Amino acid sequence: MAKLILKNVFKRYENKDKKKKKAVNPLAVNNFSLETEDGEFIGILGPSGCGKTTSLRMIAGLEDITDGEIYIGDMKVNDVDPKDRGIGLAFEDYALYPPLSVYDNIAFNLKAKNVSADDIKKEIDRIAPMLKVEELLEMRPAKLSGGQKQRVNLARAIIRKPKLLLLDEPMSHLDGKMRQVLRIELQRLHKEIKCTTIIVTHDQLEAMSLADRIAIMKDGELQQFGTPLEVYDNPVNEFVAGFIGEPPMNINTVKVEKTDKGTFFKFVDADIAIPVPDRYLPVVSEGMKVRLGVRPTDLMIGDENSKGSDAKISVFENLGEERKISFRVGTEFLTLVTPDEKRYKQGDPVKLEVKADKTHLFDVETGEVIRAK
Amino acid sequence: MAKIDLVNVTKRFNKTVALDGIDLTIHDKEFFVLFGPAGAGKTTLLKVIAGVEFPEVGEVRISDENVNLVEPAKRNISMVFENYALYPHMNIFDNIASPMRSPLYKKDEATIKREVHKVASMMKIDHLLERLPSQVSNGQRQRTALGRALVRDPNVFLMDEPIAHLDAKLRHVMRAELKEMQHEFSTTTIYVTHDYLEALSLGDRVGIINEGKIVQIGTGEEVYLTPANEFVARLMGDPEINIFEIDLVDEDGVLGGVMLGQKKPHLIPEDVAKVINDGGYTKIRIGLRGNDFNYSFTKVSPEYMDATVYSVEPIGNKTILVVDVNGEKLRVIAPNDIKVELDQPIYVNVKMDKAMFFNAEDGNFIIRHNQKQLLEVD
Amino acid sequence: MNHKSKEMLKSIGFTGLLTIYAIFAIFPLFWLILLTFKSDAQMFNTTFVFTPTLENYRIVILQGTDYVKAFINNIIVSGGAVLLSLLVGVPGAYALARYNFSKKEDLAFTILSFRFAPEILVILPLFMIYQKIGLYDTYFGLIWVYQLITLPLLIWVLRGYFEDISVEVEQAANLDGYSWYQVFFKILLPLIKPGLVASALLAFIFAWNNFTFPLLLSGFQIETVTVAALRYIGSDTVHYGQMAVAAAVAALPEVVLALIIQKHLVRGLSFGAVKG
Repeated sequence: MAKLILKNVFKRYENKDKKKKKAVNPLAVNNFSLETEDGEFIGILGPSGCGKTTSLRMIAGLEDITDGEIYIGDMKVNDVDPKDRGIGLAFEDYALYPPLSVYDNIAFNLKAKNVSADDIKKEIDRIAPMLKVEELLEMRPAKLSGGQKQRVNLARAIIRKPKLLLLDEPMSHLDGKMRQVLRIELQRLHKEIKCTTIIVTHDQLEAMSLADRIAIMKDGELQQFGTPLEVYDNPVNEFVAGFIGEPPMNINTVKVEKTDKGTFFKFVDADIAIPVPDRYLPVVSEGMKVRLGVRPTDLMIGDENSKGSDAKISVFENLGEERKISFRVGTEFLTLVTPDEKRYKQGDPVKLEVKADKTHLFDVETGEVIRAK
Repeated sequence: MAKIDLVNVTKRFNKTVALDGIDLTIHDKEFFVLFGPAGAGKTTLLKVIAGVEFPEVGEVRISDENVNLVEPAKRNISMVFENYALYPHMNIFDNIASPMRSPLYKKDEATIKREVHKVASMMKIDHLLERLPSQVSNGQRQRTALGRALVRDPNVFLMDEPIAHLDAKLRHVMRAELKEMQHEFSTTTIYVTHDYLEALSLGDRVGIINEGKIVQIGTGEEVYLTPANEFVARLMGDPEINIFEIDLVDEDGVLGGVMLGQKKPHLIPEDVAKVINDGGYTKIRIGLRGNDFNYSFTKVSPEYMDATVYSVEPIGNKTILVVDVNGEKLRVIAPNDIKVELDQPIYVNVKMDKAMFFNAEDGNFIIRHNQKQLLEVD
Repeated sequence: MNHKSKEMLKSIGFTGLLTIYAIFAIFPLFWLILLTFKSDAQMFNTTFVFTPTLENYRIVILQGTDYVKAFINNIIVSGGAVLLSLLVGVPGAYALARYNFSKKEDLAFTILSFRFAPEILVILPLFMIYQKIGLYDTYFGLIWVYQLITLPLLIWVLRGYFEDISVEVEQAANLDGYSWYQVFFKILLPLIKPGLVASALLAFIFAWNNFTFPLLLSGFQIETVTVAALRYIGSDTVHYGQMAVAAAVAALPEVVLALIIQKHLVRGLSFGAVKG
């Protein structure tokens, strides 16, 4: 159990391949700082190539740190050997030793440290029920299902009582249902062992559902660090807004227009106009172009007295629990999700309303959020 | 433009039975979704219709004509494969043009050029025509495969999980795109998927297949609201439906169900009770989706069951709670701003008017409250 | 840093080792070329300093047509063997990759095992059979027996290639309106081309170099270069210079071929073949 602190960490890859003059991005990790609480569950989230796995590998000591400092607890670990950092690591691919039984796989690390057989047995007896692998101990890895392998893998990572548990895309090989189950197990496990845990993933759902706080990365840079609700409700830029949430947030270019009825956000690629919420009036001016972000659940269909914008339904989908309605906006859709039971057809005219307090504005150029004054 | 009939179609691979006596009729111009878990036989069924696999037993009829012995090339069927099956050595243009260059469906080069460009701009890949399949993204490959299928005017479209390999966000968009396009191509289409959202969204009718057998056929609403059995119910919806056993108790002619170690029975709606009594069912399981629960942090009424929070997953627009009621884990949907801690006490109640009733002996669906009215909603 | 100097030492060590190996591997060739320019008289009493002469080349290539004839024979026999292997091997590899039939793996292994048996072991019965059925000392006889060398290689490489092409690609082309033969020539052939070229080339080289079969299964009618080189061992003396020329000239087509399709060779064999 320990805090993890990253201070201005950089990772630069030397361009070894002389033929390719320009590497994709030599700065794999760019000025990454992060401080966790003791026992916290942290998600590092981002698309592939964002530097999340490189960061994890630097924390684990599998990769040199170009610049900056990493602390685990009070110990600066920059030059500490991976095996001495007190880390439990579970990789994306299971990497179990095929000729050994599950028991021996879990015990492998302790045996290497010359722990007595009795103590090993005691430890495994303690951990096996937590991960529900008691029944599997005698089996060989080849006989296990994907989910079981990942449990064994986790058992192997936590048996050495790490100060820090690192998980690298632990569920990417599992199917949907198995993922759901393992997510819940992970949550329970974390509550039981109270070990500071870092999970690296590209799946926003996984990060949201597991982590106390999420660090979202892109192109080697940290974009936002906050609780799941914070990053969902208050994204700092267009990237975070689009990355978090499913179905994704609608983000469209709109132009500010003043009419005698008030000030509107007029969609550039569609005949839809939405009143500018009062709190944004001081920060926008007529003719200004901004990116307007609205989550599908924050759009509504108004009744016949509605003052909402006229719009024509392009696609209506009845998805059981909810209904999804899409409106054509240029080459994209503006999407609305509602639990309302009413059915529509393609081409039906409706009044489109927005929950004014749930809109987000982003700068057209930089993508940074524009906050209301 | 064709009706498809499958009569007792059976297909084996060595010892495994992939299709087991399938009887199925797909109407002319219908968009039919074939839905089932991995390995259910969905792809095999498509390939049998396409003619690239041969059924051991049974008949495939297209427009009432037996085509068992007709070569695939001559059936005028176009198919989108799950792995796209693009020709790796041809650029996007040649891939899409391929059907129009074959001896059977030959067109002159001018027509080919016009048609390919038309389809490519529809699929938004017109700027990629010179590239090889290996040089474009997954989404673009998928659209190329769709384009190759759409470029000619086939009798039947077969689509095998065409958007399964895209990431979740792109899938949402592509599903809407497909649905919008449906109106443009009024051709008999069979669409295979393992994603219940695609099935509900796209299908005029949905056929659910498991272990080589058709389990249920119906509209999206029918299969969602009145699944034929527990298997179908579990396939539909996320989080998975909760199904557990209840003990029937009859108190002065009023039927109730005792569940999850509670003492007091929950009232079973009258219309349901009548069917259960008339059918003589004794062992009942009920199915409740994540939205079919009420929860509270205080015991508002005696019907609310004592529970503890087993896990909390805030996933954006909602939170999925798993609560533990006497050892049974129930998946409950809560708003996204709910504040709960693991192992905290919580009280939940079931909405019996939303429950689906299954026969515990064979897992088949019996009835749910207001069943008729539910399905008549337009 | 300490780390960096370690890396440096490592790379120096590796380069050194590789250099030593390169010398070890290349020196015999270098020596052979040297010999071709030496006269018989200077063969043993000088090492690097001598009067270069083209006399050996004149004798081997221009004087007497035996060597040239052997060279042509070799082209006919090796080329013929590869062609026959292609005709048989491509469909064979396709069948092994695509169809399921009983004892499929056994058959595949049997084909591969042709390469296991030492040639000298099978040569005697083959010699007798060939004598009996009149294949001895004929072009076809040699082409036939060379299948033991070329066919397994071709089939095993191409099978891997066919397996790498998903069945769906073929089925898609089928539905596009192409018959099986059209699918084969339009889709499959272009896709297996790298493997086809590489394995055919390698098969050609193996056939070209073969010594045992032509030595014993052909007489004076059809003599290949490998056998022809023996002629320079006279009853009184060994004409090392001329033999060196014969060997060097024999190696020439291989070197040229290998250089031309070097890239193809490595890529072609390292794809499919690994999986096969």
